[in-house]
Amino acid sequence: MKILLAPLDPVHDAGLKLIKRKLEVLGYECVLLPPDITVEEIGEAAIAEKIDMIFVGRTVGYGVEQLFRRVRHVLTAQGIFGKVRVAIGGMAVTDELAKSLGFEAGYGPHTRIEEIHALIEKNPELARHVTHPVKDKPKFPFPHSNEVKDSTTRKLLDQIVDGILDWTSNKSSPGVVRAQITESQLQEVKGSVESYTALPFTRDYLAQCDENIVDFFQRNTCPSSVRQITQKEIDAYLRRIDIAKKNFHPRVLQHGRTKPLVFVQYGTGCPMMDGMHIKVAESWGADGVLHFDPAWGARTEGLMDGFLTNAEDGTPVTYANLSLIKRSLDKATLWTVRAHRGLNTPEIAVLSGFLGADMTKINIIYGSICGGTDPARLTVDGVEAMRIAARYNMPFDIPTNEELAGSPPHKAFAGMLVMAALGKRLGAQPILKPLLCHGPYVMVNEFMEQNYVDYNFAKIRALQAIADFPIWPGEPIGFMTHTEEKEQSAATTALHAAMCSTLGVDAITTASTDEAFSRGSITADGRVGALRAIEEAFRFFGQTDITPTAQADVWRDEIILGINDVLKKAAQAPSFVEALYSGVFGDKADGVYPGRAGRDSISEIEPTKKVGRWDVDPVMARKISLIAAAARPAVAARRRR
Amino acid sequence: MTTARDTIVDALDIESFVLCESEAEAKELVGKLMQSLGLARFVIVSLDFNGPGAHFRVRAYMNKPGDTYTWLKE
Repeated sequence: MKILLAPLDPVHDAGLKLIKRKLEVLGYECVLLPPDITVEEIGEAAIAEKIDMIFVGRTVGYGVEQLFRRVRHVLTAQGIFGKVRVAIGGMAVTDELAKSLGFEAGYGPHTRIEEIHALIEKNPELARHVTHPVKDKPKFPFPHSNEVKDSTTRKLLDQIVDGILDWTSNKSSPGVVRAQITESQLQEVKGSVESYTALPFTRDYLAQCDENIVDFFQRNTCPSSVRQITQKEIDAYLRRIDIAKKNFHPRVLQHGRTKPLVFVQYGTGCPMMDGMHIKVAESWGADGVLHFDPAWGARTEGLMDGFLTNAEDGTPVTYANLSLIKRSLDKATLWTVRAHRGLNTPEIAVLSGFLGADMTKINIIYGSICGGTDPARLTVDGVEAMRIAARYNMPFDIPTNEELAGSPPHKAFAGMLVMAALGKRLGAQPILKPLLCHGPYVMVNEFMEQNYVDYNFAKIRALQAIADFPIWPGEPIGFMTHTEEKEQSAATTALHAAMCSTLGVDAITTASTDEAFSRGSITADGRVGALRAIEEAFRFFGQTDITPTAQADVWRDEIILGINDVLKKAAQAPSFVEALYSGVFGDKADGVYPGRAGRDSISEIEPTKKVGRWDVDPVMARKISLIAAAARPAVAARRRR
Repeated sequence: MTTARDTIVDALDIESFVLCESEAEAKELVGKLMQSLGLARFVIVSLDFNGPGAHFRVRAYMNKPGDTYTWLKE
């Protein structure tokens, strides 16, 4: 087949040159006319060269419709139109325009050669992989050895983990009991949302709940910002989701690299708005999404049930809400449900596991010293949640947002490594989630005055030097570097994403361009803005890496030393919980302090299993014990009794 | 009397996301939106359809170069 490529521009013919080169690779004979030709000369060349098909290109958009009308008129007058196939292309050309003018097809910018090849051969299958791309769910996290490299650090972590398991072996909590009841009920109804929602809530469950949760079930009252979603709304929403799924064409953000995967956090308050934001995020290339619940949900004993919407930040966790989200997801989308920081941690892990969530989120330390939950309570609940995560084969990420409160990275990271070692011991798959932020500690110490690169490099490189766990910076990347201005926000997110690509991390969580906007809910438009910026940053850098200055290595080594120092102190504490109370992983001077929610709520049970033993320096143990007692007088007094 | 609209130098951009089933429907919806806002002189700057709908930016011109500019009204 012989193809004529005709540029109808005074100077621009780059697109047709590119098409010529690619078509010749595919084996076609091509004739490319020079720029600055007349319409008549196109027809004359077609006749002289005995052409089978013509592609006419017009880069400039002005007057394109009139110009192509004239092309058709002249080619018809020359006896070519109708005998030789003719397609058009250009910046302002669409397939609709081309067909309305009688051409075989029209191609705008971003057309792939596969589409042109498919047209030439009249075989849509040749372009199916670009016109109807298929995205498979990645096996995440990517493979890692999950080993701590340094033997001293490993020994310290083992010692702390032994202590945690020993300490929790004879303890339970209302959260643990509710998780057991919930799991039993879900097993009874085989996970059916309708049957579960219709179940009468047992006295046993309500006995473990706060009054407002009891009122919800017994008096049908909701918190003031919460209302029940009607079945009519659900039905209409699901019809919208079906349309979105029908028209979905997956995008891949990564340009020539397999990682980092890009996750989007949602939690607008409403599962239906979340669902629509998720569909937008999936359509613009997100690989996964994370569920965020309201802050009050973490401080309340017990979960409500049914389809609920909240007029404020955070979407209530209920089995029905999560099931609605699950039903909205594309098959390729990874789904994480945050369980980590409150009084319902084990129960949320059960709900997530039953619904087939890909991952959950647990960090006893962050939840204890920054999330408002009592350290003793969350230690009991967190261990149980990790066991549940292991049982349901849900990897869990370990956020370290205590940095936002002012905790230095070495303290947050030491805690994260303890959680990783604990999770690994319990058979779960931990994922490190360092925060890439311009946080208070960094600001005060002016570590990012010169650039945002060096200190972030130091943090990730420190973790990579210590252990080989999956790393997923969040939450979101570039926290506290965003402003309310859209272009700035998209740019800082994209640049942090590019940096993470160089760092070889497994995934990132991205903000929307509304990250810094706190006077209203975020928008679908803001989701698109951030994802497009990331896509462009990945495209820009490709396989090229960002190089930090030598300062990054200096800070990396300081962070590693700091982490090991914290681990030594934690290992010397009378217990992990005492270490939390005494501020080993962050104290009031840093800006963090033990939470109060759920204080004095743990109960002693028959020990399940004796694990590990303590090897404590008595002087250090006494010192930490005194600090802990001062920080927690009521609990300390009770323990003494 | 000068209105707030008169003080716009050149154009008012609106960027949002509409739920629809095709690119053609999105363009029609955006057109109707602009008409309903009384912004008849508009152009769709960008429009990207996928999944649940289309992300778009539409521009309503208040003053094009060469116009008698509204912001020169006394």
